Amino acid sequence: MLKRTLVANRGEIACRILRACREAGIEGVAIYASNDAGTLFTELADISVQLEGEGLAETYLNQEQILQIAIDTGCDSIHPGFGFLSERADFAQAVMDSGLIWVGPSPDAITKMGDKMTARITMKEAGVPVIPGEEVTGGLDEVLQIAPSVGYPLLLKATAGGGGKGMRAVHRQEDLESEARAAMREALNAFGDDRIYVERLLTGSRHIEIQVLADKYGKTIHLGERECSVQRRHQKVFEESPSVALDAELREAMGEAACAAARAVFYEGAGTVEFLVTPDGEFFFLEMNTRIQVEHPVTEMVTGVDLVREQLRIAGGQPMSCGPLNMRGHAIEVRLYAEDPSNNFLPAIGELKKFIAPSGPGVRLDTGVREGDAVTPDYDPMLAKLIVWAPSREEALQRMGRALDEFVVLGCTTNVRFLRELCTNQDVVDGWTTTDMIDRLWPDGWNPNISEQMSNAGLLVAAACESTNHGRVLTSSGESSAIPSPFSTINRRFP
Amino acid sequence: MEFKTSEGRIEIDAKRTGSAFTHEGMTIHTGDELWLEIDGRKHKAVATKVGDVWWVHVNGHTMQFEVIEPGASSSDDEGGLSAPMPGKILEVHVSEGQSVKSGDVLMVMEAMKMEHKIVASSDGKVESIHFREGDQVPQGAELLSLGE
Repeated sequence: MLKRTLVANRGEIACRILRACREAGIEGVAIYASNDAGTLFTELADISVQLEGEGLAETYLNQEQILQIAIDTGCDSIHPGFGFLSERADFAQAVMDSGLIWVGPSPDAITKMGDKMTARITMKEAGVPVIPGEEVTGGLDEVLQIAPSVGYPLLLKATAGGGGKGMRAVHRQEDLESEARAAMREALNAFGDDRIYVERLLTGSRHIEIQVLADKYGKTIHLGERECSVQRRHQKVFEESPSVALDAELREAMGEAACAAARAVFYEGAGTVEFLVTPDGEFFFLEMNTRIQVEHPVTEMVTGVDLVREQLRIAGGQPMSCGPLNMRGHAIEVRLYAEDPSNNFLPAIGELKKFIAPSGPGVRLDTGVREGDAVTPDYDPMLAKLIVWAPSREEALQRMGRALDEFVVLGCTTNVRFLRELCTNQDVVDGWTTTDMIDRLWPDGWNPNISEQMSNAGLLVAAACESTNHGRVLTSSGESSAIPSPFSTINRRFP
Repeated sequence: MEFKTSEGRIEIDAKRTGSAFTHEGMTIHTGDELWLEIDGRKHKAVATKVGDVWWVHVNGHTMQFEVIEPGASSSDDEGGLSAPMPGKILEVHVSEGQSVKSGDVLMVMEAMKMEHKIVASSDGKVESIHFREGDQVPQGAELLSLGE
């Protein structure tokens, strides 16, 4: 059993983990950079410690400082969340060398899966199918030399990568050199490692991943799939479970392959094996994410398993509590990004002057922000995740549409409307979601579909508000507080 | 009353009756809450002002309207190309006096760990370049200016 866990993360996922700790009777320790002071996750922890320094390298990526805080605050474990240090084998090793428990797989498993080439080789050996492609070990010259044999369109990916950084699709040979340079530069900036590799871009395929869970007692199970095909800039925006593309037979085959992948590296804890699934139902190993995943809630909703709680349980040396897989109904998650979908999804900043979250049956909001928070360019623009569950896919889409209509975010541009329109998009409704669908549906960029009547209505609201100084708090200096209400005293006596 | 939107300038002349305003058959009731009446149906609206901009949410739509003070000049910053976010200039592809075509990449900047291309919005000539490779730029900074 864990007693005190340091959460080496921020924002939405730190909130998620700290809440799970609270529920499990584990004390949670938050760490935060000075520009995160006063944000939601720092309040959900039993102990909050401010990190010294500025910028990611000195704060959330500062292994020595984070480890020292864990030791100083008497933690017995560290949960890395996702991003940041979650897939750093050296950090996992340092945590274990300090006598603390790492809530995640072994450093060896992280290393084998974290390096895409090693992962490919390991998976090939374990009999898991991999994507046709060429592995590149040496710089730009080799990329240029190898590309023609892979064929176009092709994808350049950072070997150490993730999150869409250092990833470039190349459709024509004449673009290869400049794109390769950009990919290497992004890779170097984001991961300190400019190795990239080249693989065939399988267009029209789906991105489907399998959640796995493994404990220290030799039990490795899969918890069904998540379909994450709707992406922009190679980052997911809309995820669901189950996938319309899988029947029970394919699910079992992919689930078995995912478990084989996990067993091949003696995996422990929660992990995700990503596959590309072609229109003919062939599937290929993409990568394994050796951490909790952003979109884990959809699996939680359809399987009834609390994945973060299982992570804590497994790390504490207990067997997992899951029974046989029992998927029920349909869950969808959308990612609320501070970005402008009508301007090529460019990240946006601003103050969340209004942040009114939807509610009602089957609606879950995993948020790291609340009204009044500032969205700054310092961190990832993902603000929150909205998840719905309903008995069927059709009802889940309807519920998500309703919830997004209720979602009010003012003061910072977000993708709420874009997500709303996805819910009624014919391809999405038909389940024809592919990784290239946003470019396919909106080749010239997306713009909100708004009737003239609605924009006139908005204009009328603005004009009326401007005329009446709507929302402006008129401070009646002292008047209201001058006469004390007798009821406030009574209230205090009978709380 | 006049506003600026992403579509351009727009004027509205709403009829006021007490705390209610009417325009083109729609009525908005103001107060602590905003209720919009369209074809006999009521819709709740939420609005807040940030700087000169009214942010309005109604029926699942979010809109922005910038208040234009009466008599203000209508000079838009045309030809100026500004940084969409704070970031760092990675590449400068043009030099002063160079002719460019609409769509040409002028600069590449990094913001929020992604690379963004600054692209010419029209044909023209580069009049001046305000930043060099490696420079940090604040949001809204004019990166370079294009002339006819």
